[in-house]
Amino acid sequence: MDPKEIDWNKLESIIEAHRTQDWSLIPLLQEVQEAFGYIPPESIEPIAESLNMQPAQVQGVITFYAGFSLKPKGKCVLKVCRGTACHVKGSRSILRHVKNELELEEGETSEDYQFTLETVACLGACFLAPTMMVNREYFGKLNPTKVSSVLGQYSKNKEDEG
Amino acid sequence: MEIIALTFNGQKVTCPSGTSLLQAAEQNGIKIPTLCYHPDLKPHGACRVCLVEDEKTGRLMASCVTPAAQDMSILTDTPRVLNHRKNIVRLMMAEHPESCIVCSKGNRCELRKIAANLGVGESGLYPMPNYTPFEQLNPFITRDLSKCILCGKCIRADHELVVTGAIEYNHRGFHSRPATLYEKPLEDSICTFCGTCVSICPTGALSVKNTRYVGTPEKETNSICGFCGAGCSLTMGVGGEKIVEVNPSKRKISVNGATLCMRGHFANDFINSSDRLIRPMIRPLTETKDEDSNDSHIEILWEDAFDSIASRMSAIKREHGPQSIAFIGSSKCSNEENYLFQKIARGIFETPNVINGGYAFGQKLLSYIDEKTHGTCRVAPLADLEDADVIITLCSEPEQTVPVAGYHIKRAAKKGSTLIVVDPVKTDLVMLSSLWIRPIPSPPADISIAELISALAKELIKGNFQDQQFIDQHTLGFNPFNDSLTDLDPAKAAAHSNVSAESLSRAVELIKDKKIAFVMGADILHYPEGDQLVDAVLNLCFLTGSLGTKGAGIFIPLPENNIMGAMDMGMVPDLLPGRIKIESETDQGIDLGAFIESVEAGQIKAAYIMGENLSRALPQSLRVASALKNLEFMVVQDIVNNKTAQMADVILPGAAVYEKSGSFTNMEGRIQTFEPVVPPPGDAKADWEILAHIAKAMGHPEQYQTIGKIRQEIRRVVPMYQGLGNHHQDWIKNSNSNNPLSGGKTKFLFSPHRASGDRQAEGAYPFVARISSVRYHLGSGTRTSRSERIRVYARKGEIEISPADCRDLGLNGSGLVRVKSEFGTLEREFKQNNRLPGGHILIPMAVNNNDAMNLVGLTGNEQSDSYGWTLSRVSLEKI
Ligand code: SF4
Ligand code: SF4
Ligand code: SF4
Ligand code: FES
Ligand code: FES
Repeated sequence: MDPKEIDWNKLESIIEAHRTQDWSLIPLLQEVQEAFGYIPPESIEPIAESLNMQPAQVQGVITFYAGFSLKPKGKCVLKVCRGTACHVKGSRSILRHVKNELELEEGETSEDYQFTLETVACLGACFLAPTMMVNREYFGKLNPTKVSSVLGQYSKNKEDEG
Repeated sequence: MEIIALTFNGQKVTCPSGTSLLQAAEQNGIKIPTLCYHPDLKPHGACRVCLVEDEKTGRLMASCVTPAAQDMSILTDTPRVLNHRKNIVRLMMAEHPESCIVCSKGNRCELRKIAANLGVGESGLYPMPNYTPFEQLNPFITRDLSKCILCGKCIRADHELVVTGAIEYNHRGFHSRPATLYEKPLEDSICTFCGTCVSICPTGALSVKNTRYVGTPEKETNSICGFCGAGCSLTMGVGGEKIVEVNPSKRKISVNGATLCMRGHFANDFINSSDRLIRPMIRPLTETKDEDSNDSHIEILWEDAFDSIASRMSAIKREHGPQSIAFIGSSKCSNEENYLFQKIARGIFETPNVINGGYAFGQKLLSYIDEKTHGTCRVAPLADLEDADVIITLCSEPEQTVPVAGYHIKRAAKKGSTLIVVDPVKTDLVMLSSLWIRPIPSPPADISIAELISALAKELIKGNFQDQQFIDQHTLGFNPFNDSLTDLDPAKAAAHSNVSAESLSRAVELIKDKKIAFVMGADILHYPEGDQLVDAVLNLCFLTGSLGTKGAGIFIPLPENNIMGAMDMGMVPDLLPGRIKIESETDQGIDLGAFIESVEAGQIKAAYIMGENLSRALPQSLRVASALKNLEFMVVQDIVNNKTAQMADVILPGAAVYEKSGSFTNMEGRIQTFEPVVPPPGDAKADWEILAHIAKAMGHPEQYQTIGKIRQEIRRVVPMYQGLGNHHQDWIKNSNSNNPLSGGKTKFLFSPHRASGDRQAEGAYPFVARISSVRYHLGSGTRTSRSERIRVYARKGEIEISPADCRDLGLNGSGLVRVKSEFGTLEREFKQNNRLPGGHILIPMAVNNNDAMNLVGLTGNEQSDSYGWTLSRVSLEKI
């Protein structure tokens, strides 16, 4: 599926379900994010209209929370930790390695929407430093070889599916 | 309310509980610096510059968000406090770009002022400027958000004061900035360019864009906006005898507070236009009259101009009688000028033909309502709307005509007043409303809002929700009115306008036992059913007892600054100064349509026109122009050269609002005086001075050498204006002794319901064209089209068409359409407008020489096949 094509029917049914509720902006956005993997910018205006809000306000809420994204993300979202503990343990070179392997810069998504590369300030697993996360899975005590094998695992998954 | 006592720096003070520390300090003359605080906005606590110290606990706290408490002892300028403040400002400066030195906010920058007071020069910190692109493609506002200190004032002003919602914080932390939807430039957002955020921004992040270098203001003078009927209070910054900046004034009491609209803020640069008239001119007798023969006028001395006018007009009066002369005053000129002008007309020339341009656009409605309500709605403060239970807006788009009235309505709705919008167009108010009644008859016939309102009345009576006590005490004619409703079937009336029965019952639910504030478009009388509609509203008003209580009654957003005043001064055919009705119709003058007809018929031979550009403002411009050529003698007194002036025999250069003294009366009945901000250009003179000279040249015994002299006479002759000139503002006095609410003997009189005709749209002209005011122009646009900024903004005034009609006509993207009515044809670009219902198109006024007026007929409003001046039946085709 090309993530850029929006299933308007799906969007509309989510919006309709929340239309008459008070305080429903955040739950609505969460549901959209869940269903589409991101919040399509085109959905801001219909969402605002359904809740009687100004679109700019809805956008403000979306961009405030790291949990919401206005850009489609890859199937695998990589979060490389750049916190202090990981930094001391060489996370800078881990990040460089990931960038080279995926040919992505921070914040970018691969053209095939397989990978998105992000950095975070601390994953809360400093004892495993240097760390990263792929979707909801943690990987610690990283070194370049381990990174390559993790990445390989996720791109292989894709081939299996294909 | 509980009073609490505390100390500031050892000084004992008291304040009511609930007061913030900052307010308590200010009320006692103790200064605390602020950046994100504004008295009209909810406190925000973002900048921390207002830090103070609690002596007992040693806590530092932001005084703007900390409520004062009993026995607190607060220190505002200990070394510790100053040190913290300094550090906060240093951090802000570290994030600030170096372009600070050449910032256009200059000495008005509050950050710079505070930094200087605290002795912060260099921040001494590692500079981390946050570069964001400079935005200045629109002609009004420059945004340099690298200078933004995130005080949030612009966002709060946009949400809380003007209730637009164009901007909001975007992102978080260091990257956070006020942004529009999709971070587009302002001109591609819903921003109305009211400029309120610009005036309130404490730094150079938001500043006014000038199309060329204008210099910095050397002094500031207060004035009153001369555009619409809100009458906003302004402060004008003057540099080298030119107005270089406009901001909302800081006067404590004003209609607009910290807000303005696009026109007031940005369009007043028209006064520097090169089209200004600067010398009196005369047409040599040998020259023919032609709109384009501008160059044939030659300059003369003022004395000669006065003599020539006096002698020519006296001769015409002698030869053809007083009826052959007409005086056209102006709803843009001051009370003093209109008073003197009608006095010259009635007193010296003895003609009843006294009229002004505002007659068609509001005065007729005003005077009718004034008569029916015995003066109860003369004073209608917009601020009262915030106390209204229910506001019903009727075909009124104040966001466009009188934006500040729109802000008041939106604020009221946000604060909790129930808002019911009755309009076929989905205006900006709809979003904030509890109920939107959208009358769209199908097939497209005339809208019957009157029927709907009467249906509401009937339903209220059915449920016994009327204010019987008010009816018994203060009204007459309830029973005949009730009888007249017998044949009205509410369900049918609703269905006729395609309004659901639920909408109607919801409306009844919302208004029962409530007092209502009605906001009516000034042009409603031009609707085919105008009279019925106004009567229906008045009936509902009496029925619900919505008169005489705060936040109830009738509010009419008037499209021009002194429509109310010009009427009160008697510059209308049927009223003498002080709204004294001229009872006998034969003694009344004529309206503007009849004026043109009489000129065409050769009955009127001479006209003196002050401040009205008739050949632009009236329908059928060609007809008007050729009629005016018929005049034997025409004087035009105006500020900018225009088509009407070019046809005149004598042209007199008057002064713009900001160049003279005077007073205006706004739509609320608020009388405000103003003094000159800059001198008039060239030899131009204040209009009242010119009129004083004319009176003298005619041998009038009274000399009006000062404005005070005219005011004195007005105070004597017009009891409603007994306070004129004593203060810079005052309210009309309700001098109507008949008013039943203040013990008068008369009663409010119900009018029987009349069924409106059921006229179907005709085959040849199946569309309804709404000829509408737009916020970037005023009236016919004579002044606003001279504003350089508005000219650069260059709105094409596209004809707006509903999506359904676009589809049916095969219109997509852009292109030209042709609109035809019985009276004329118009070709313009079109754009789709989702807010319009099918069958209705919207044509902005004022653009392209105001050619939209050519679609309507000058006279014959009463004919069944013609609309008034604001609606027209048309055909529409793609070119
Ligand atoms: S743009 Fe001005 S008013 Fe708005 S947040 Fe920034 S500094 Fe404050
Ligand atoms: S100019 Fe007015 S409408 Fe536009 S963003 Fe500023 S406050 Fe809002
Ligand atoms: S045009 Fe009207 S609303 Fe706008 S600033 Fe002037 S008086 Fe106020
Ligand atoms: S610093 Fe990397 S997990 Fe805490
Ligand atoms: S003025 Fe109090 S925090 Fe900004």
